[in-house]
Amino acid sequence: MNMIVQPEKRANKLKSTRIAGKLVNDYWEMVWRAKEEGKLVCWYEGSAINPFLEAADIVWVHGEAYSAMLAARHQEGPAQQAAEERGYMKELCSYARTHLGCAVSNQRNRNDTDTGVSNAPDDNDLASKLPPPDMIISAYAYCSTGQQWDEMTSRLFGKKIPIFNVSIPWVWGSKPDAKYLQGREWNETSAYVERQLMDMVKFIEERTGKPYPWDRLRELMTNVKRASELRLEAMDMCTATPAPASFFDWVVSIAPINNLPAGPQIVDYFQTVRDEVAARVASGEGAVPKEKYRLFFDGIMNWNKVGWLAEKFARYDAAVVTGRYTHMAFWQEPGLIDPQNPVLGMAQNYLICPNNHAAPILIDLIMGLCEKYQVDGMVIHASRTCRAFTNPQFLIADAATKRLGIQTSMFEGDVTDESFYKDELLNSRVEAMLEAIDSRRMARA
Amino acid sequence: MNKQEILGILGAASRDPLGYARAWKEKTGRPVIGSFPMNFPGELAHAAGTLPMILQESDDAITLGHGLLFPFYCGYTRSMVDQAARQEFRVLDAIMFGDHCVQLLGAADAIRMQLTDTRVIFFQLISSMNDPWTLGRARESFETLKTELEEFLGKPIDAAALHASIKLYNRNRQLIRALYDMRKAGTVRLSATEMQYIVKSSMIMDKAEHTALLEDLMAWVKAHPEPKGTGVRLHLSGHFCQAPKPEVLEMIESCGTVIVGDDLYHGFRYISTDVAESGDPIDRLAEWYLARNTGVPCPTRVQNNVDWDAFLLKAMREEQADGMIVLMAKFCEPHMYYYPEVKEAFERANMPHLLIETEHEAMPIEALKTRVETFVEIIKRREAA
Ligand code: SF4
Ligand code: SF4
Repeated sequence: MNMIVQPEKRANKLKSTRIAGKLVNDYWEMVWRAKEEGKLVCWYEGSAINPFLEAADIVWVHGEAYSAMLAARHQEGPAQQAAEERGYMKELCSYARTHLGCAVSNQRNRNDTDTGVSNAPDDNDLASKLPPPDMIISAYAYCSTGQQWDEMTSRLFGKKIPIFNVSIPWVWGSKPDAKYLQGREWNETSAYVERQLMDMVKFIEERTGKPYPWDRLRELMTNVKRASELRLEAMDMCTATPAPASFFDWVVSIAPINNLPAGPQIVDYFQTVRDEVAARVASGEGAVPKEKYRLFFDGIMNWNKVGWLAEKFARYDAAVVTGRYTHMAFWQEPGLIDPQNPVLGMAQNYLICPNNHAAPILIDLIMGLCEKYQVDGMVIHASRTCRAFTNPQFLIADAATKRLGIQTSMFEGDVTDESFYKDELLNSRVEAMLEAIDSRRMARA
Repeated sequence: MNKQEILGILGAASRDPLGYARAWKEKTGRPVIGSFPMNFPGELAHAAGTLPMILQESDDAITLGHGLLFPFYCGYTRSMVDQAARQEFRVLDAIMFGDHCVQLLGAADAIRMQLTDTRVIFFQLISSMNDPWTLGRARESFETLKTELEEFLGKPIDAAALHASIKLYNRNRQLIRALYDMRKAGTVRLSATEMQYIVKSSMIMDKAEHTALLEDLMAWVKAHPEPKGTGVRLHLSGHFCQAPKPEVLEMIESCGTVIVGDDLYHGFRYISTDVAESGDPIDRLAEWYLARNTGVPCPTRVQNNVDWDAFLLKAMREEQADGMIVLMAKFCEPHMYYYPEVKEAFERANMPHLLIETEHEAMPIEALKTRVETFVEIIKRREAA
């Protein structure tokens, strides 16, 4: 197809998401100041256990968020290099590699200081600037790599830092009663994770030496629940044509729901986003200037490429309206959270990370989203080092074609390792998909 | 039967596991239960009167599997999916597993979608090995797997039968461990491939039949002492779910080395630990699961109070090994995570090792051979110095 790409076709990003940038910066500043302020620091990845930590006045560092932030700022290089020097191979999860690289840098600086050689981290060296943990909590759904990454972090720090493991089983769903959020397996698994979270609270108490402030957690979870409801409400409005916001706007809004402080500011943030989306629906303003195609994005984000991809799809007149990463994760079932008694609902939200349901349930959910947002095609990001996301992708593509009759196209990339990204391949495959959508439309007309 | 004849039978089963299963099924009329590596207790399915079989990577090139799993997955998972897509698992009545390496989960989903008539039973075993609730949860998992198996087969698994299966499995493991000891001491000559056939066939064959063959083998080797093998003594490490290719093992041995120990899954890891024979069998299986990881630490588990590298160095001292070859299946994430620790510990201990990445597809044996020869030279020079 001779796709004419006009440079003036810019992505019409939500204005309100700019606030997220400031909130994110404030959060990392707080993290970097943690030691000066005498705060305890906990490293964790995967599940959003941060409200448990924030309530106890522990500074939380989400490994993926740190790696993603480095990649988004194109500053992942030194951390990845430090990891490589220690022998972590390129095929390992690049989120983990980047974060482990921070731990390696941190240890190096410390050891150099021990030998009297001053090697204080330069303020711009974000890999070394990350404060070392006083504790590690591992609560990774589905992906064994997540649990091993935490273990490696603990080992890199000489196993001297207390670590707590929460085991979150995969929801296999083979019994006749197994449905989304239903069935014996779901109930049993929910209770199992809830029990471990209660033990995790005891672990936190041991670290802080104080009784756990449950009231504070209730307050934070009230905010999380409200923020989540507003986020979902705004997402739902994107069933409108043209779609007022895109997958990439929701990517930018991940940090506020997933790992920023859960104060009233996250509610305000999503209220502002929701209002802007509502205003756009009312005025018919779209996330791309001329919406011609509506797409589903499967796969984890390519963090070095968020803006780049947003612009690329806008140039193709393609509104990426929904996706597995944004629409099936991050407190996406606020209805399960009872702020007065939040632990079970938190456990359940951890259990429904976008990979933790086995293929049959996962695929039904994805097909549901495709229908709800009336997509014409599916673009699939095969992230080289995140197998958790790539695992079901052939099955998803097959279901999209067979059940919904929509076009799919796969491209290679990675979460934070840019070297796996193949731009030419993405261009040619997306163009072929859009061309196929055009031909189908013409045939129907 | 002499040693070669027995090894011939074990080798044949190792090379064609599904063929063995088909013949067994035809002969007995009983179900065959496939399992994924590396921690499913075959004793449970054995006690139910079935043939439990650990599903093996096939030598065949990946064809249909390409459309189900990406090429950046380990050879084991790609091969499993490929075999399922080609309907080669039709002989299996069910598949059971509890391990949750992320690539294995991807394979399991794809396999379940391919084998619509085969029941795929999963209950995730806890992989965090030293939490206060690890033992209890492991017990619950085995109990659940047992119940699911009973439901599937439509009959209960009797405690006495389970005790008998545990006993038989222990005997089988003990015999293989005795061969390991003899190899270490130099009183039996078994090449790495022969040892692999012994262990791999134990994952496949009817346990009673296999144990009888091992008893015969043991009697034969005791009665026919062979001269001690000479060469640089090596330990082989790594390679989890899939068996290393015999041509790689043979190439290593052709470089003037003798393999005196290993911690391969298709090796010592599989038979390292027995299940206690008295008391509640499910309790004992849960304890076995924990003890196995303390005995031979596995990178697919997390356990802060055991170190794989320390285990390796200790094992090598006992084996009087001069060096170690690490066989790493390409894309195996658990292995990639732990390798830097092993590397550092070996460097600190001044113990030579060589890393070889293996692939499902054909490997450049000649180029690898040059690397192994150089490695062997380095060891020899160190020893001469
Ligand atoms: S592979 Fe993917 S899901 Fe697993 S730890 Fe890495 S980023 Fe997370
Ligand atoms: S442990 Fe390694 S070999 Fe086994 S399934 Fe996982 S990646 Fe593959």
